[in-house]
Amino acid sequence: MSIADLRNNGRVAWAAFVMTLRMNAPDPFTLFTIVVQPLIVALLAMWMLVERGASNAIFVVVGSGMTGLWSGLLFLGGNSINWERWTGTLELIVGQPTPVSVIVFGKNLAIVVQSLSGMVVCYALAALIFRQPLSVEEPLLFAVSLLLTVVAFVTFGLVIAPIFLLSPAVQSFQNALEFPIYMLCGFLFPIALLPGWSTPLSYILGPYWAARALHGTATGGASLDEVLISWGMMLGLSLIYLLLSGRLMDLMLKRARADATLRME
Amino acid sequence: MNAIEVEHLRREYKARMGVIRRTTKLVVAVDDISFDVKPGELFGMLGPNGAGKTTTVKMLTTLLLPTRGAARVLGFDVAKQADKIRGRIGFIFGGERGLYWRLSGTDNLRYFASLYHVEPEVSRKRIPELMEMVGLGDRAKEKVEGYSRGMMQRLHIARTLLHDPEVLFLDEPTIGLDPVGAREVRQTIRDLQAEKKTILLTTHYMFEADALCQRVAVINKGNIVALDTPQALKGHVADLSVVEVEVFGIPLEVVERVRSQSFVDTVSVEDMDQRQTLRIQTARGSEAVSDLIGLLSGLRVGKVVVREPTLEDAYVRLVGGEA
Repeated sequence: MSIADLRNNGRVAWAAFVMTLRMNAPDPFTLFTIVVQPLIVALLAMWMLVERGASNAIFVVVGSGMTGLWSGLLFLGGNSINWERWTGTLELIVGQPTPVSVIVFGKNLAIVVQSLSGMVVCYALAALIFRQPLSVEEPLLFAVSLLLTVVAFVTFGLVIAPIFLLSPAVQSFQNALEFPIYMLCGFLFPIALLPGWSTPLSYILGPYWAARALHGTATGGASLDEVLISWGMMLGLSLIYLLLSGRLMDLMLKRARADATLRME
Repeated sequence: MNAIEVEHLRREYKARMGVIRRTTKLVVAVDDISFDVKPGELFGMLGPNGAGKTTTVKMLTTLLLPTRGAARVLGFDVAKQADKIRGRIGFIFGGERGLYWRLSGTDNLRYFASLYHVEPEVSRKRIPELMEMVGLGDRAKEKVEGYSRGMMQRLHIARTLLHDPEVLFLDEPTIGLDPVGAREVRQTIRDLQAEKKTILLTTHYMFEADALCQRVAVINKGNIVALDTPQALKGHVADLSVVEVEVFGIPLEVVERVRSQSFVDTVSVEDMDQRQTLRIQTARGSEAVSDLIGLLSGLRVGKVVVREPTLEDAYVRLVGGEA
């Protein structure tokens, strides 16, 4: 890839980022997915926490916020491809010279950045309504973890997007993907509570390592080595997702061009 | 080198039917078509709805893979070298879809300019020029959701010109427009042709093809049934006259009875509320009128007109009365 290609792709990703922010901003479904839903999760978890007299509210805040990141990526990212299919713009973005993955990257980045607002709202809920002590034990490590979390989620979304490109029927299975990822990634409780056979599945998911890094740095329950391992896994898996998504996207696009599923009437 | 080369192109679809007992039916949308378009030519594809025009355009714009045959645009294969074609062509599909309704006209163009790698300083100058050219200069900052269908269609034309493409595919660009809007779009197409752009235009309006195109391929049921200049196509009906009979509530079997007569070449029926106009092409001209009236006995018959055939009649004859 030449410097000119990189510059052009960067501009396209930025254009897709800005366009997605502007399109999503006034949308009630977006608001529900990235703010209201994590807020409900946080509310229930905080009640349980307060009832039991436990004190790790920051775990709940981070975990609830992460459910918003995943739901946003799954529903807004997945829906956006089907929405483009129904509105006739999917053909236009497939028929232009930039790889579709670059556009999806920009869209995913916008969705994940927007979804971080859910975490902020959950923090406000715990602090203002439940009056829980909330402090991030390792703020600098937490900030780096958050940045890498964005990378991990965006690239994970790139692997999911080609599946939605394949056929509008895939949308039917969208709901089924939401809770398994919450559980496998340990957003709200440790994966040690799950059966042992599911652990390898968690290990190949970038969001699992993101949850480990964020929970560990927020509660102070992880050593520096553990945090560094989580960062390394996030970066390594993101690289694998990037390589995989390009190939998957090419395959699914070829299939969609063969099956005539780029546009729905 | 031709700008577009199409060789024995075929496209099949699998149509699925039923819920419990699902069956698959093979539909041939385009069946073995071949044609070339020269650089700078305005080439028309004319045919009724479902004839295969849009499917052909979608294959040429790399959005659909052909089932068989080959097509090249600017020398590149549409199936295998799509990446080399996409930046050098522009396309629009008729209708209101294909725009971001929550964004303004300008924001739509800005987004697509980025996708087509138009340098920011170029797009800053070109977008207002294009909006003026398509008559949307004063509505450019408004959200697309408030645009009329004609305005959306013109915005599509502006969008497709952003990256100054060498070949344009315009699929029914005037469909659903009011007469004034359609005339404006046709003038824009003429202007583009004057700039020596290669244009493939699909339409089901004969007069549009006649007014704009240098050559026209008439396509029906996935096949090209005639390919020539509009003038030469008119020669297809030089030997015929057209008898138009106004009738009220004509049953289908009577239309079929008329169609089966040896002196009748083609029959088409135009519905207008309670009455229909039966349009019969025949070599016998006014001599056929008494026989026709006899076939319509028992029906209320209004005006009867015998006239010379037009280009539209040539088209009707070529597509077998299905227009």
